[in-house]
Amino acid sequence: MPGKVYDVVVIGSGAGGGTLSAHLAQRGADVLVLEGGPKVETRTDFNTHALPFEFPSRHIPVMKPGKPGFDGERSRGLGGKTMLWNAVALRFSQRDFKGRQHDGAGQDWPIDYQDLAPYYERIEREVGVCGNYDHLPDLPDGVFLPPVPMKCSDLAIKKGAATLGIEVIHVRKATLTKARSSRPACHFCGNCMSGCDVVAKYNSADVHMYPALKTGKLTLRQNSIVYELATSDEALVKEVRYFDRETRAQNVARGRIVVIACACAQSVALLLMSKSSRFPAGLGNSSGQLGKNFIPHITAGYEVFVEELIGTPAVNDEGFLDHAYIPSFMHARQRDYPRSFGVQFGYQNYRTVGWARSMPGMGKAYKESIKSHYPAYITFTPYQEMLPNAESYIDLDPSRVDEYGLPRARRHWKLSDSDMRLHQDLKVWSRAILDASKARIHSESSEPETNHEIGGCRMGADPNTSVLDKFCRSHDVPNLYVVDASVFPSASEKNPTLTIMALAARTAGHIADRVQKGEV
Amino acid sequence: MSAYSSNRRSLLKIIGAIGTTCAYPFASDELLAQSEARHEHAPPQSRVGSRFLNNADFETISRISELLIPATDTPGAIEAGVPAYIDFVLARNTDEQLVAADGLRWLDAEADRLAAGSRFTDLTEAQQLAILQPLCDAADAAASADAQARLRQPRNVQFFALVKGLTADGYYTSRIGLIDELGYKGNKVRAAFPACNNSERGDGVRSPSKV
Repeated sequence: MPGKVYDVVVIGSGAGGGTLSAHLAQRGADVLVLEGGPKVETRTDFNTHALPFEFPSRHIPVMKPGKPGFDGERSRGLGGKTMLWNAVALRFSQRDFKGRQHDGAGQDWPIDYQDLAPYYERIEREVGVCGNYDHLPDLPDGVFLPPVPMKCSDLAIKKGAATLGIEVIHVRKATLTKARSSRPACHFCGNCMSGCDVVAKYNSADVHMYPALKTGKLTLRQNSIVYELATSDEALVKEVRYFDRETRAQNVARGRIVVIACACAQSVALLLMSKSSRFPAGLGNSSGQLGKNFIPHITAGYEVFVEELIGTPAVNDEGFLDHAYIPSFMHARQRDYPRSFGVQFGYQNYRTVGWARSMPGMGKAYKESIKSHYPAYITFTPYQEMLPNAESYIDLDPSRVDEYGLPRARRHWKLSDSDMRLHQDLKVWSRAILDASKARIHSESSEPETNHEIGGCRMGADPNTSVLDKFCRSHDVPNLYVVDASVFPSASEKNPTLTIMALAARTAGHIADRVQKGEV
Repeated sequence: MSAYSSNRRSLLKIIGAIGTTCAYPFASDELLAQSEARHEHAPPQSRVGSRFLNNADFETISRISELLIPATDTPGAIEAGVPAYIDFVLARNTDEQLVAADGLRWLDAEADRLAAGSRFTDLTEAQQLAILQPLCDAADAAASADAQARLRQPRNVQFFALVKGLTADGYYTSRIGLIDELGYKGNKVRAAFPACNNSERGDGVRSPSKV
């Protein structure tokens, strides 16, 4: 089938795929984006401002009736998970890229902070990130819009943490605190993670994809689910095979370069599904490392009541969810494990009151207790870095297929003794901070949980121990790249999205240079 | 029943994400209500869709929910439509149907023991509370235990915890509970986010945080 051969075919339109595609189109490359989900109208398709009593189940669905996309597992839809993210945007530090040099654990990145710093800055200017200049050694400052004032509950935590020598800073988010020509400033409705209908919060569809479509260099095919990358004898990807999500009609796309950006586990799954005689263990997997080194963030969770706010009148202080952040503070302290953790807190949305079910008592006193605790309720969630181990990996489920008949990605993870020591210490410090803040714990997680999927397709200098090189290019397949959190050799404790975007911008520059030089 | 406990995903399907959507928008594997239509003006007490409870049991559930969250200066559970919500959830969760059926039978047997021929709803309020308070105390004591320990609770305690949880969910997600009772004020357009001003909080703030 003699279809058009694009310069670059990109699979996925989230933080990684959206950024990379837009940057390539700006540089004049001919780009085709295959997105597995439907087009999304940010302003009208989400239940951004719904309240629970509008639904018999009292559960607010993500999408309005008849609007597909964004199921729990895959977030298929233009813009990917950026449509619903909380927008915390943190730069990794040099220590995050070279942790092994400090503690001998895990794997280092094949790049340094200085390699990525210009791209962090470019992304911050492009999408708008608010924050305060804090001058911290392990959390580099960026180019910031003004920060948002802390909430009363944040100040209580800040005061308590200060007694332990722990700093609380303004959160850094890819949400506008000053209007731009194309996007308004945040209006603090508190529903950021239900689809920001005015795009004050960055999302890839509105900030990257739609403007890139106007360049005329970008072609977008929605509802196109890629199931295999077929290779030529020269170990180049020659065909991207996909089918239509609704009709199931099969099709192929061709590009001189192919970039996978399907989000961590799905990118790994697509490579594992793309087996051939040359790559029997999955495409680009001569190292045997594909799927290994799965290092999601590990979290604990607390629901707490800030005592000084119990019994106060309810006020409108949801803001844009969390307004403050506790950066990693363990690097400077004695401990018996490598790596560290940071804390996101105060991101509760007051439309739901799930904690009421576990408050004691019944009757009038119970009802009064819920009312008095309502303004004092906050969430508190430490995030820790996990180190790679042999029992934590992504593979394909041999027995279960998804609704399209494709193998499901399976996530296996097990914490090592050192990870567990970190986790226990994280809980000790969390309780200490909450206690010092006079914040009473209502519930505490009993087991570690995962969030922010990371790893499985790591970058590295050595083709024997990594899947991708320092430009996120496959060691085995010269025209294949991956740009999402699967490429991270280490996870840091910091939210991954800003780093995904900076890496995507850097890889886009590298690919555009190759295209301009006629290398592809 | 913690929003963060390890059995978070085993909570009732319909309410699986209440309170935790914000923290884990992508961890939830049960966004069941994706395509659900809005019922903006659904009368709160109408019994939507399929039912599980018969009329007598519906009255019993109504009574328990009102004892849990009574009318004060704001309406209680019945006026907020909680019994219909509980019926809605039970009709869609078979495991909880068994707990509810056992619990309702047990309550009527207790009532019959106190006054032959009586159902729970025939008892005086004092008699009803005398039956429910020990269950409430036991459920509260178990609330901090893990999921396995909760499953080992007596069936009638499990039943009480189920009805209490659904009553809390149903009441505080109703317009009456969320807005009239709790005073939810979010979901509005603001020009700017104001710095913490404790005077906005009234006299209830004991120690202003100055950092």
